[in-house]
Amino acid sequence: MRQTGIGRAFSAVNIPLVLCVTALGAYGVIVVWSATFGMAGGSGLLRRHVVGFAIGLVPLAVAWAIDYKKLAGWVGPLSILNALLILSPRIPGLGETAKGATSWLQVAGIRLFQPSEPAKIILIVVMAAVIAQYKGSIDKPRDVARIMGYLALPMLLILLQPDLGTGLVFIAITMSMLLVGGLKPRWFAVFALITVVAVGGVLRFNVLEQYQEDRLVVFVDPARDPLGAGYNLAQSKIAIGSGGIAGKGLRSGTQSNLNFLPERHTDFIFAVLGEELGFVGGIVLLGLYLALLIASLEIAASSRDLFGALIVAGVIGMWTFQALVNIGMTVGIMPITGIPLPFMSFGSSFMVTNLAGTGMLLSIWSRRYGT
Amino acid sequence: MAIFQDQLKTRFAALGVIVVAVLTVLAVRLWTIQVLYAESFATQAENNRVREISLEAPRGRILDREGRPLVTNRGALAVLAAPSVRHDEKVMASLSALLDMPIDDIEEKLSSEKLEPLAPRPVALDVAPSIVAYLAEHESQFPGVEVASVPVREYPRGTLAAHVLGYIGEISEEQLSAEDLTGYKLGDLVGKTGVERQFESVLQGDKGHRRLEVDAKGRPRRVLSEVEAVAGRDVVLTLDIDVQRGAEKALADALKAAQREDFDNARAGAVVVLDVASGEVIAMASAPTYDPRTFVGGISQKEWKKLNAKGSEYPLTNRAVMSAYPPASTFKVVTGLAGLQTGITREWRQYYCPGKWTEMGEKWPKWCWERSGHGTVSFHGGIQYSCDTVFYEIGYEFYKRDKEELQAFARSMGLGSPTGVDLPGEVGGRVPDADWKRKFNENYPEYRTWLPGDTVNIAIGQGDLLVTPLQLAAVYGGLANGGKVMQPHVLRSVLDPDGTAVIEGTSTVRYAPKISAADLAVMRRALLSATHDGTAKGAFRGFDLSVAGKTGTAQVYGKDDYAMFAAYAPANKPKYAVVVVVEQGGSGGAIAAPAARMVLGALFGKNTEFVSARDESR
Repeated sequence: MRQTGIGRAFSAVNIPLVLCVTALGAYGVIVVWSATFGMAGGSGLLRRHVVGFAIGLVPLAVAWAIDYKKLAGWVGPLSILNALLILSPRIPGLGETAKGATSWLQVAGIRLFQPSEPAKIILIVVMAAVIAQYKGSIDKPRDVARIMGYLALPMLLILLQPDLGTGLVFIAITMSMLLVGGLKPRWFAVFALITVVAVGGVLRFNVLEQYQEDRLVVFVDPARDPLGAGYNLAQSKIAIGSGGIAGKGLRSGTQSNLNFLPERHTDFIFAVLGEELGFVGGIVLLGLYLALLIASLEIAASSRDLFGALIVAGVIGMWTFQALVNIGMTVGIMPITGIPLPFMSFGSSFMVTNLAGTGMLLSIWSRRYGT
Repeated sequence: MAIFQDQLKTRFAALGVIVVAVLTVLAVRLWTIQVLYAESFATQAENNRVREISLEAPRGRILDREGRPLVTNRGALAVLAAPSVRHDEKVMASLSALLDMPIDDIEEKLSSEKLEPLAPRPVALDVAPSIVAYLAEHESQFPGVEVASVPVREYPRGTLAAHVLGYIGEISEEQLSAEDLTGYKLGDLVGKTGVERQFESVLQGDKGHRRLEVDAKGRPRRVLSEVEAVAGRDVVLTLDIDVQRGAEKALADALKAAQREDFDNARAGAVVVLDVASGEVIAMASAPTYDPRTFVGGISQKEWKKLNAKGSEYPLTNRAVMSAYPPASTFKVVTGLAGLQTGITREWRQYYCPGKWTEMGEKWPKWCWERSGHGTVSFHGGIQYSCDTVFYEIGYEFYKRDKEELQAFARSMGLGSPTGVDLPGEVGGRVPDADWKRKFNENYPEYRTWLPGDTVNIAIGQGDLLVTPLQLAAVYGGLANGGKVMQPHVLRSVLDPDGTAVIEGTSTVRYAPKISAADLAVMRRALLSATHDGTAKGAFRGFDLSVAGKTGTAQVYGKDDYAMFAAYAPANKPKYAVVVVVEQGGSGGAIAAPAARMVLGALFGKNTEFVSARDESR
């Protein structure tokens, strides 16, 4: 099956993946362009969004160029790097606190990026390397405990920020990798049980911050406080619902332009899309995600080793989970968490993460025939 | 290698199923809210962004017959506060200090439930510029408080004609269901009394509407659509400001004069001036009066209670149409005409007044007010000197004829039922008869029988007879107008915005009692004598206008005598009828007649001093 010349070059690129990422990126730019219409400094925000995409092409290219297999030997250093990365905003002079969370790395007053974003990619690599060691079959409690240990450290640190959203993304990444990595089904049952007990405990002993609890309460009973914590959810649903089938047209969403939608260019970007492009626009986005994830699954299936397949599984888990939680939040079937929508939400850190993940997928694809 | 990839296939498939499931759940949810429930959410989005506000139409003005304004509009600088400010102790305290207003009063204004729940409530009107400046400079300390210009009623002539004009206020529950007030909502300002109420439909105009697009903070972004308000129309009244002022001054002077003569309870009364040929009300005064400016911007509970307190003499009552009095001797013209018409009496028929009249038997003597008696006196003299005995005789004759002709004649002149004047709240007075007495005393069998004394009492305007000052004026106007009682009215015309009259008050004959020209002439001669050389002689001494009039002094149980005077002038070619009633003012000749002279002075450009009649005649 070896190919040479131009054919080889083409087969090095997974065309569907590149097309999907390009389409999603462009779609995101359009919706952010519309969402930032009329906002203070709106055009600046749009420029930053596009620049973020361009910056992301660098890690994409780097990840693509690197032979991912070499990363498998760096579990220890990568784990330490990840811990330091997540901790970095806590270092005096390097961090910034916004909305109760210390989640930005900044130097000399200039915001650089959110360390939790690259942490997702590093976690994917570390977990892939660890899980791959079991060669597709995990059942011993000791093995499970060891794998969980690698999750536990970054998880603990991210919850201390506190950034519950990213913590949940870490779990989703790990679970999808364990599914592909061969964890016996009964262990998933055990995890489910632990989750139920943990959630019960959290609610019982008031571990959550007030705003987190409010969000949960509102999710369960949105009518309880429509002008307080329930306001965002209610306005988001009104925006999307009022979009109808065809939407109100770009830059014509009243919920969006008249500021009824909070955080409309970031966490609630889908509400803008739903309002202005309607059901059709929403289905187009879901279709693009489906195509992206199918392309990714194809890359996973083509991987010549388990490590590569696991990396892809992690990326798929990240994207799927974030799409579910973010869109689910805007349509009222998920609690409100600050999880952005892949390729769509404004924010360069997450854009860079998505593009770095894409780079790894391309690396795996282009090396599917290698030795 | 192949083995490892085959093994993974099912796991990838599982992952794929999860992915598809997630996307399907989201798609279904989108379908639900964007297709199935789209309409409901679209409505909510519209409600979010669209605010509809009413544009108040400027209310029509009220003018006197010459077009001089009595009620106009002006913009008043008002301090408004959102209802929620009530819960902010700090703002309430600073607002109270700034406006020099008790916190309780501010609280009362803010808790008005008549306005839309979120609409700001006016707290203080006509605030000083220094307060406006202070609020502007310290905006941040007064969240929810704003200064705005609100249109309010302006009364360029103060309290003048307050009872005729009436006042406006927030619509009440009962008014909401009134026939002519459809389309109003709570919080709307509406005429409550007087002309403001009577001509509400023309004064009000049509509200406009403006649909605004607002942002999440409620700030208007743009106007979506607008229907302009149509200003209310101006109402021109038949009142003459100068005569009205003269009438009010005459009434006030009469009350002062009565008090000087130790009638300490003299605090209320009424004056009516009618154009006898048209029925136009030229002046209508009622005392005590009130200041319609108290109602501007909403009256406080305290002020309202004060205006309605027992012992306040109820200043909101327009006594000219809402109070009925025993007409006393002023009624003798009715008894007299009825007597002439039935042939019971003649102009020069002789009577003998011994002071004490015992025709109904020694057990039931009646006294003439002149206890020493008038001696031999004609019917003409009976009117001139107001001799009771003459009218006891006539009344007794009516009783014996047993046909209740006297009452029927009184009713034929319009007594006993409202005149139908275009003012709200008019009462009809009472012309009692046997039927009425039986029903009235249903529970007191011993008082149910109509007695000779009942008719005799009516004959001198006492007993259970009651008339309003306006009714009395209409009757005297009728005498002056060849026997035709005109419909009294206050509306002259309604003006279009360009000043042309669209509705005009009309002069119609309300009652045409059967009176022969000869009988009428008899009565008019007698009334002229009364002012020239009779009971009103003192009051009209030196007045170079011939006036025909009749004094009256009503006895009211438990009260001092009520002074009355009814007249028309000029006597030979009458133009106006004047009635003065002074509650507990003493004698008609001494108190009411001089007041009527003042009013006539104002009407004909004569001296308008209150003359001291020193006349105890009745």
